Amino acid sequence: MTTLKPILLAEDNPRDAELALAAMEDQHIAEKVVVCHDGAEVLDYLYCRGAYAAREHGNPVVVFLDLKMPKVDGLEVLKTIKNDVKLRPIPVVMLTSSREERDLAQSYALGANAYVVKPVEFHQFIRAVKELGVFWGVINEPPPESSGPIK
Amino acid sequence: MESVTQERPVPPAAVRSEPESDSSPAPTPKTGRRMEWFTHWSIERRVLAGFGLVFAGIVVISAISYRNTAVLIENSRLDTKSHELVQLLNSIGEALDAAESGHRRYLVTGDESYLTAYRTVVERMPEYLRYLRGLTNEGVEQQSRVVTLEQLITKQLGEEAGAIAQREQHGYEGVRHLALSGAAKNEIEGIHRLMTEFDTAEQRAIQARVAQSAGSTRNTIALLGLGALLQLVLLASVYFLIHHDVTERRRVARELQSRGELLQAANKELEAFSYSVSHDLRAPLRHIDGYAALLSKAAGESLSEKGRRYLQTISDSAKQMGQLIDDLLVFSRMGRQDMLRTTVNLDQLVKTVLHDLRLDLQGRTISWTMHPLPNVSGDPAMLRQVLMNLISNALKFTATRQETKIEIGAVRRNSGEAEVFVRDNGVGFDMQYVNKLFGVFQRLHRNDEFEGTGIGLANVRRIIHRHGGRTWAEGAPNQGATFYFSLPLARSLR
Repeated sequence: MTTLKPILLAEDNPRDAELALAAMEDQHIAEKVVVCHDGAEVLDYLYCRGAYAAREHGNPVVVFLDLKMPKVDGLEVLKTIKNDVKLRPIPVVMLTSSREERDLAQSYALGANAYVVKPVEFHQFIRAVKELGVFWGVINEPPPESSGPIK
Repeated sequence: MESVTQERPVPPAAVRSEPESDSSPAPTPKTGRRMEWFTHWSIERRVLAGFGLVFAGIVVISAISYRNTAVLIENSRLDTKSHELVQLLNSIGEALDAAESGHRRYLVTGDESYLTAYRTVVERMPEYLRYLRGLTNEGVEQQSRVVTLEQLITKQLGEEAGAIAQREQHGYEGVRHLALSGAAKNEIEGIHRLMTEFDTAEQRAIQARVAQSAGSTRNTIALLGLGALLQLVLLASVYFLIHHDVTERRRVARELQSRGELLQAANKELEAFSYSVSHDLRAPLRHIDGYAALLSKAAGESLSEKGRRYLQTISDSAKQMGQLIDDLLVFSRMGRQDMLRTTVNLDQLVKTVLHDLRLDLQGRTISWTMHPLPNVSGDPAMLRQVLMNLISNALKFTATRQETKIEIGAVRRNSGEAEVFVRDNGVGFDMQYVNKLFGVFQRLHRNDEFEGTGIGLANVRRIIHRHGGRTWAEGAPNQGATFYFSLPLARSLR
């Protein structure tokens, strides 16, 4: 596959990350997923710096963003993305445990494209992540400046 | 019926304020029994009593001062009268003397011009005497003197008239024995004595009055001084009371503010707490369920029946706890969340809820009896939660019935309230546990009979209470249950 475009998954909890990857495994989307473990790493990836200085340039097809993360939290990352002309077109999906109205309101106010509460029940979680992966990774047409194939 | 009450569903924001202790000083042990009634009085009553006393004092002082002033005025009137009397007596005395000496000269010379003074006195005397009587009408002693004086004057003038007549008829010889001493020598002397008595008595009376006036003036000055002092006390206590009141108000306002701040801080903390519960507690549960599922997928084939059942139990428990957390968060949110007040169409709300529950309705035979519901005033999202909880409860506890019957209706009360009920033909409950129904985590059924977290009805009660309504229930084991709640009617229906 030469048109593989990365899906960025920002998730500080390695178990949640593993479960999400397990969910996307069936659809063969998992191999496109880049996992970042905190907000700072997400920004490093997006701006091609630090550990990602050498990566091929271009935006991911979608960012799945957890709210609560070490260093830089989800809302701050979201704010940075939506305030940057180059990054703004990237669809950002909040993927979080929080059902708090305040989080919902703030996320949408900052320009989140979707807000998904992680279901506790595993099958529901699997289904939700799978559907998200399929929709944003396959069905949705990403903005034109998304990056080309990654190595 | 899932939940049962133990705790009173007091909204968390409710702060029980201790009744303010009376600001009056506490009675010291020394304070005798006599003062006990006073310390039992409220501050208002004490203030009123104090003001009453001071006011009564001022009234008494004013009355006495008024009386004293009246005495002064009266004395001054009497003094004027006395002076007039003395002057009048002098005039009468001089006139009588002039008449006497005039008549003697006439007796000697026979010159009629000497009789002018005498004739004037005779002419004027009745007027003088009337005037004199008028001035002495207030003293018995002086009045009796006036009578004597009158007699003496009449006698003197009579004697003199007799002598004058004799001189006219018999010439100088006829009155020779009288000519030098005068006709009324004795009377004149008597008159002068009497006049002196008159004068002395008046002077005494004047002196007595002067003493009295001086006394009452001193008295008045002292009383006015006391009155001024009392008024000063009154003013001072009014100032003190106002100052005390204002200080107290400021103190209460400060306290209220600090309590409000504390409350706000507590609320913030609670919010942070439930936020962290919502976020952090869910994650491990998801992992438990997730890894149990992954394990079952990876090794399910090789596990024994028992092993698979264990895995299933792990997964079920995780799910149940997840549900519990969700319900608790909703419960907490219902207590804190700002409330809207709009007109809510309950009929429409029931339809929405039934649409949301359509998955639960599949495969069930249910006979619905829907009565028209009134419009009420309240928060649509919260009331939706109420109907959702009550209807899903009705569905849950009728699951074992061949045919489920659910009836929803309302009774309108005159008090501007609507009473809404949801009735089912489910397993019902024993009325002796009715008080426990609406409490948090209270359940009347085992979990393997009916699933549930024990929060649904607690939530219903909390929401209805926040709307100013009541919740109650009726039921009997195996004969169904009816849940009621009251709500204020929409403004247009009241």
